[in-house]
Amino acid sequence: MMVLFVLILGSVLTTALVGVNSVTAPQIAKNAEIKLKSSVLEALEIPFQTENVEQTFSNNVKEAEKNGTAYYIAANGDFALPYEGAGLWGPIIGIMAMNPDLEEISGVTIMQQEETPGLGSRIGDAEYLEKFAGKRFTPQLNLVSPGTADGETEIDSISGATMSSKAFVEILNAEHARYQSTLGGS
Amino acid sequence: MALTLLTVFAATILTNNMALNYLLGMCPFISLSRSLRTASGMGFAVIFVVTLTALINWPIYNLILVPTGTELIYYIVFIIVIAASVQLVEMIMERFFPPLQAAFGIFLPLITVNCTVLAVSLFMVIRDYDYLTSVVFAFGSAVGWIVAIVIVAAINEKLKLIGEIPAGMKGPGIIMVISGIIALAFLGFAGVVNL
Amino acid sequence: MNGLWRDHPIFSLILGICSALAVSNRVENALAMGAGVTFVLLATALIISSLRNLIPMRVRIITYMITIASFVIIVDKFLKAYFPTISESIGAYVGLIITNCIIMGRAEAFYVQNKLGQSLLDAVGNGLGYTITLVIIAAVRELLGFGTILGFTVMPDGFTPWVVMTMAPGAFFVLALFIWISRTITGMESD
Repeated sequence: MMVLFVLILGSVLTTALVGVNSVTAPQIAKNAEIKLKSSVLEALEIPFQTENVEQTFSNNVKEAEKNGTAYYIAANGDFALPYEGAGLWGPIIGIMAMNPDLEEISGVTIMQQEETPGLGSRIGDAEYLEKFAGKRFTPQLNLVSPGTADGETEIDSISGATMSSKAFVEILNAEHARYQSTLGGS
Repeated sequence: MALTLLTVFAATILTNNMALNYLLGMCPFISLSRSLRTASGMGFAVIFVVTLTALINWPIYNLILVPTGTELIYYIVFIIVIAASVQLVEMIMERFFPPLQAAFGIFLPLITVNCTVLAVSLFMVIRDYDYLTSVVFAFGSAVGWIVAIVIVAAINEKLKLIGEIPAGMKGPGIIMVISGIIALAFLGFAGVVNL
Repeated sequence: MNGLWRDHPIFSLILGICSALAVSNRVENALAMGAGVTFVLLATALIISSLRNLIPMRVRIITYMITIASFVIIVDKFLKAYFPTISESIGAYVGLIITNCIIMGRAEAFYVQNKLGQSLLDAVGNGLGYTITLVIIAAVRELLGFGTILGFTVMPDGFTPWVVMTMAPGAFFVLALFIWISRTITGMESD
């Protein structure tokens, strides 16, 4: 009797859940897509309003694919490359915008991270991400103590967030190398 | 991974403490911080339940729910596993450690609604940990929680010797103040985890 | 409407603090969490009270659990679909509404024994009380920690934010202050 009750209740509730899910799933997928597109636009420094993200995106950015790797190209030839890797606490996912030479960074955004709030999560702060603009991977970014970055290949770490900064830069280096080998001299 | 297991363990106690950084598991914090003995006893039970549920929930999520596309109900499944684990612990205690079980009374079932237990399982899913990291994370988080509750309980016990606490502050009020001060102190650990 | 002050969940019953503190850093998060908890309270009251004569004694806790968990999933999906930014801020903590002691507590102490109308009223009362408390704490924390309320800059330009308010210790202190003030006003003694 008890088991029957729990089973029936469970089934009714699960059905309701499946119903709610099918209603909300499309919107949730849409939100994810808008987030991705906004992130690409932001990394490429193409201005946009929240209302016309889709429009601005289709006007200025093309989706492309080479050797099984999907990426984006802006009208001016800049690349917008999705990156993903392991942070200290969870995946760090975002977009890395590069000049057509695939060596100089024009912008970096973070779409998702799980680093410690107030400490590691500061890698997502605008002031920190701005430091990456103009840096070059020749052959890779080097992490240095906070405030001592000098030159185009050095980037400051964040005090109190050394491991997150380290993980983040390692991800960018690794993903850059990956794109270089798959996209080659395009 | 950029992460060593030792780092995870140390961090969950010092810089990512469940109670002092994520503000979880506060309900029992308040009712059990009166006495050091009940606090530490509850703490050990929590460590056991949290680690056990992580051990069980990870395979259920990654090997059963995800492949069959039924992650939708994972909240329900997790909470049921937690409730069942607590029942299990209760039964074991009744059988092998009756005096301990009597001392705990109502607190054991309360572990089921201790946010820390569910939170560990939820975080492990959100952060996409592999099995070993999940278990270490669970164990470390629980240890971090017991460290926090023991410190707060110890200070609370001794506070009576220092002076008279205003009536409105007695109980939950002063516990919050102590927790706040300890949380502030633990912030000093930022950057320590640098193995 | 006892749920609003006298039997206030946060203080006299010391319940539901679990999720409360973590999302009390901004008013919009507090409002969203409060709304979520109120919704789950109402839904739970509806189901448990309506079925109260059918629920077998021995499985009532499981019943509460799967009911509450299901509605929490609904709240989670709803937020993810229609308020993605808020969902990102409080994401994991929505799931923790399941372990929010208030909901389980009310289900066991009230809804399973009382009529639908009264249960729904109790849910509204408790939900409202919880939301108001959370919002007040959040208002203090957001004001002092960011200088804004609901995103609108309130503090004058020269104001330096109190960083402690954006982090855990700030939450503890504000809550402690709140408990002290409200307990002194209502003359409620500690247990």
